[in-house]
Amino acid sequence: MEGKIIVVTSGKGGVGKTTATASIGAALALEGNRVAVIDMDIGLRNLDVVLGLENRIVFNIVDVVNKRCKLTQAAIRDRRIENLFLIPASQSDNKDVLTTAGVERAAKILKKEFDYILMDSPAGIEKGFENSIVSASEAIVICTPDVSSVRDADRVIGLLYARSITPKIIVNRIVPQMVAKGDMLSHEDVMEVLSVELAGLVPMDEQVVIATNMGMPLVMQNNSKAGQAFRRIAKRLNGETDLPIQVPTHKTGMWNKLSQKLGFKK
Amino acid sequence: MLYGLLRKFTGRKPSKDTAKKRLQFALVYDKLEIKDTTLTDLQNDIVDVISKYFEIDKSSLQLEIKRDKDVSALVFNTPILCAKRMRT
Repeated sequence: MEGKIIVVTSGKGGVGKTTATASIGAALALEGNRVAVIDMDIGLRNLDVVLGLENRIVFNIVDVVNKRCKLTQAAIRDRRIENLFLIPASQSDNKDVLTTAGVERAAKILKKEFDYILMDSPAGIEKGFENSIVSASEAIVICTPDVSSVRDADRVIGLLYARSITPKIIVNRIVPQMVAKGDMLSHEDVMEVLSVELAGLVPMDEQVVIATNMGMPLVMQNNSKAGQAFRRIAKRLNGETDLPIQVPTHKTGMWNKLSQKLGFKK
Repeated sequence: MLYGLLRKFTGRKPSKDTAKKRLQFALVYDKLEIKDTTLTDLQNDIVDVISKYFEIDKSSLQLEIKRDKDVSALVFNTPILCAKRMRT
């Protein structure tokens, strides 16, 4: 069977695309799939450092697309997680070096080799974004609960629909305490504004910073709430669709429950 | 914690409600925006179609979008010099 190409995108930068790609990719591999995560941010690569594989780069995606090397030469095998492979971006090339036709050609080979191919799209809606979505059959849009991120997500969702890709959304960096106070958009608010299907909810988690410092896949850390959330997202993507989406919560005390009962809070 | 109750007494609105409202407005306005070239392209196309049937003064026509509170309207003004005779 052919593999699935999923693009991870957001429009706005800095909302957690790369962390999400690395985490979902690693989690899908832990589920027993052959997974390739591909950094499409030519000139500004980062997926390699997030996964801690920056010292092992020989070839990159531009080499693959332009046939300077074989796919197997460019795919870096992760030694900690079986069946997880990284194809890094080129750091020296101009970001216009890839063409959609070239990416489509490479995608055909990728689909034969892997069960899941995750494309980490660059921020923005220019050529890098076009290249990332050209062969994708599914899309995950990452947004954080703030106005600028949600607005950009809406724009990207429109562009994906225009190419007949139905996106799902991940609301990242939820701070449950702030949501409870009414000082952060809840995931329901975001869903209402964007009206797309939800892929999952990820809480704000200090462990993300620590994992990135160490170059360790977040999903390998059992004490990471965000890591757990990404594992659940991967399981749902992998076919466990009846796995419920967990809403991040903070400790609920007696007062909280009481005020909920009294109807002061949703 | 009793944020909900506190808010009932102080009357402070949750900031996320403001965020949501602003966001919804922004998205509506974003979708009404058009590219710079769209209006001139449209004008050229309209002129082509009308010129098939009427002689018009191409230098004095106007195309604009009028935005009211509730509706946006496309207004096209052109003096007609004369009707073209159709052969059929």
